[in-house]
Amino acid sequence: MFEDKRTGLALALPAAVFAAALFLLPVGILLSEGFRNADGWSLAPYVEFFASGRNRVVFLRTLKLAALVAGVSAVIGYATAFAIVSLPPASRGRVFALVTLPLMISPVARTYAWLVILGRTGFVNQMLVGSGLLDTPLRLLFTETAVFIGLLQLFLPLMIISLVSAMENMPRDAVPAARVLGANWFQVFARVILPLTREGLVVGGTLVFTGSMTAYITPAILGGAKVLMLETLLYQRVTVANDFASASVIAMILMVMAFSANLLLKRLATARRAR
Amino acid sequence: MSDYVALDGLTLAYGKTVAVEGLDLSIAKGELITLLGPSGCGKSTTMRAIAGLMTPSAGRIVIDGRDVTRLPPSKREVGLVFQSYALFPHLTVYENVAFGLRLKSAPDLDAKVRDGLATVGLSDFAQRAPRDLSGGQQQRVALARSLVMEPKVLLLDEPLSNLDARLRLEMRMELQRVQKETGITMVFVTHDQAEALALADRIVLMRDGAIEQTGTPEEIYSAPVSGFAADFVGFETILPDGAGGGLAWRPGAVVLGSGPNEGKVRGTAFAGERREYILESPLGTIKADTPAGAAPLEIGQSVAFDLPRERAAHLARLD
Ligand SMILES: Nc1ncnc2c1ncn2[C@@H]1O[C@H](COP(=O)(O)OP(=O)(O)O)[C@@H](O)[C@H]1O
Ligand SMILES: [Mg+2]
Repeated sequence: MFEDKRTGLALALPAAVFAAALFLLPVGILLSEGFRNADGWSLAPYVEFFASGRNRVVFLRTLKLAALVAGVSAVIGYATAFAIVSLPPASRGRVFALVTLPLMISPVARTYAWLVILGRTGFVNQMLVGSGLLDTPLRLLFTETAVFIGLLQLFLPLMIISLVSAMENMPRDAVPAARVLGANWFQVFARVILPLTREGLVVGGTLVFTGSMTAYITPAILGGAKVLMLETLLYQRVTVANDFASASVIAMILMVMAFSANLLLKRLATARRAR
Repeated sequence: MSDYVALDGLTLAYGKTVAVEGLDLSIAKGELITLLGPSGCGKSTTMRAIAGLMTPSAGRIVIDGRDVTRLPPSKREVGLVFQSYALFPHLTVYENVAFGLRLKSAPDLDAKVRDGLATVGLSDFAQRAPRDLSGGQQQRVALARSLVMEPKVLLLDEPLSNLDARLRLEMRMELQRVQKETGITMVFVTHDQAEALALADRIVLMRDGAIEQTGTPEEIYSAPVSGFAADFVGFETILPDGAGGGLAWRPGAVVLGSGPNEGKVRGTAFAGERREYILESPLGTIKADTPAGAAPLEIGQSVAFDLPRERAAHLARLD
């Protein structure tokens, strides 16, 4: 595109300097904290981190919730995306806009809405107690379920968007063709829709998994100190305990998990295709 | 003639839009029917309903003595070749053809797939990806994929319309050969009257979701029942007969240069063998043509013409 390679480099230079100074450097310093102790370079912070039972619980919970949110949003996402692409073009645009609408509302506002619904005197409990089904309100907030619901609501649109665009790229009559050749709906999904939308699933899955793992506001509000996740634990270590070593370890774990999730999903997608 | 396939008062709607209304049609075993009609008249919708991709809001579909109206596509033993081919891009040609056979765990799968590929002349392409094939080859794969299932009826929805003219002729002849060889019952959809005339045992002409006329290619070509049917098969001059019906002439049937009527040349076009004219006359618009060798007429020129009764088609309805 540029006649001279140097022109391109020169144009990229300001952005590169900016990124290096303001992003890579601080992240590098923070991450390097995790490989030090009083005597110099060491893996001790990692050993200490995983030695704590509470930390392991938080680590596994984060992994579990992120995987669960990604899995459930894939199931709901496929159903919703298929319904959307089956609509006539005119209403498709409207429904698609409805799906993306939550993305334009502040995550803080969206998460606080769940307090109104799930709180002790919230909508759900008022219904349950008011109708006489229960004597005392249920504890819905500050549970894994509450965090799960909050994260699902937060990230489901990303999965739906990824899958809708993947499905729009499928050959128009592939699904009816498979049905006429004798496929039931399960077979249509497994043999046609899934293989043709793998890339969308990888993108959506990575976004939802990584997003759920690194979300802060939702676990902070709906999980609080009772249901810590890595991100809320990180914040707590820094602000309460001034423990930068643990914070650095957590940051590294989050980063490694995000990259691994993406690689794993990509691997899954291409391995099947090569067959 | 026993009805192998029968559509009985079929009404098909998309939400509130009625696409096909009260369609009756019966097809004999081994017959090659073409469904002919302009775009939007409900041909594809009818195919989708026969294949089970859409549930009728009224009426019945019977195939080989069995009422299949409420059955899913997988239980109907119907094949459907789509205009867009609808091959599976993630599978090889071989796996595309094997797709339906695998689903029903057919015995002799390999032999059947190889046989199917041989029938359409694609034996050497088994391991290719569909996207590496030409349009005509892709269409053959789609045909083989349906044929190997040995359906009771094979539906083809404008299967040739994405091909260029030469390939279209070649594929058409191939389809005829396959139909003769297998004796399969076929419904071929097209908006091209020449294609319909060349292929069909019987033509069903559709208009706005209903059947306008059914007949042999000869009947459809020479004895249209209405202005619409006449216009569709090339009767370009259509005039009322004064008794509610109409009279229609092909351009070649109009005599130019002599006769009791007089018209003004409004337009002219050279069409190789013939030269075509549009005349404005007190009777209405007349479309005529002359051999290309005849002296050309100028635009604006007045010319005498005759509409010989004996060469007109008599239409029961003018519209
Ligand atoms: N998915 C759909 N939703 C709504 N209307 C449709 C749909 N498909 C077709 N139609 C309408 O039904 C009528 C018949 O369409 P179709 O069967 O595709 O016609 P053809 O195949 O003869 O061109 C048309 O008026 C068309 O606009
Ligand atoms: Mg059509």
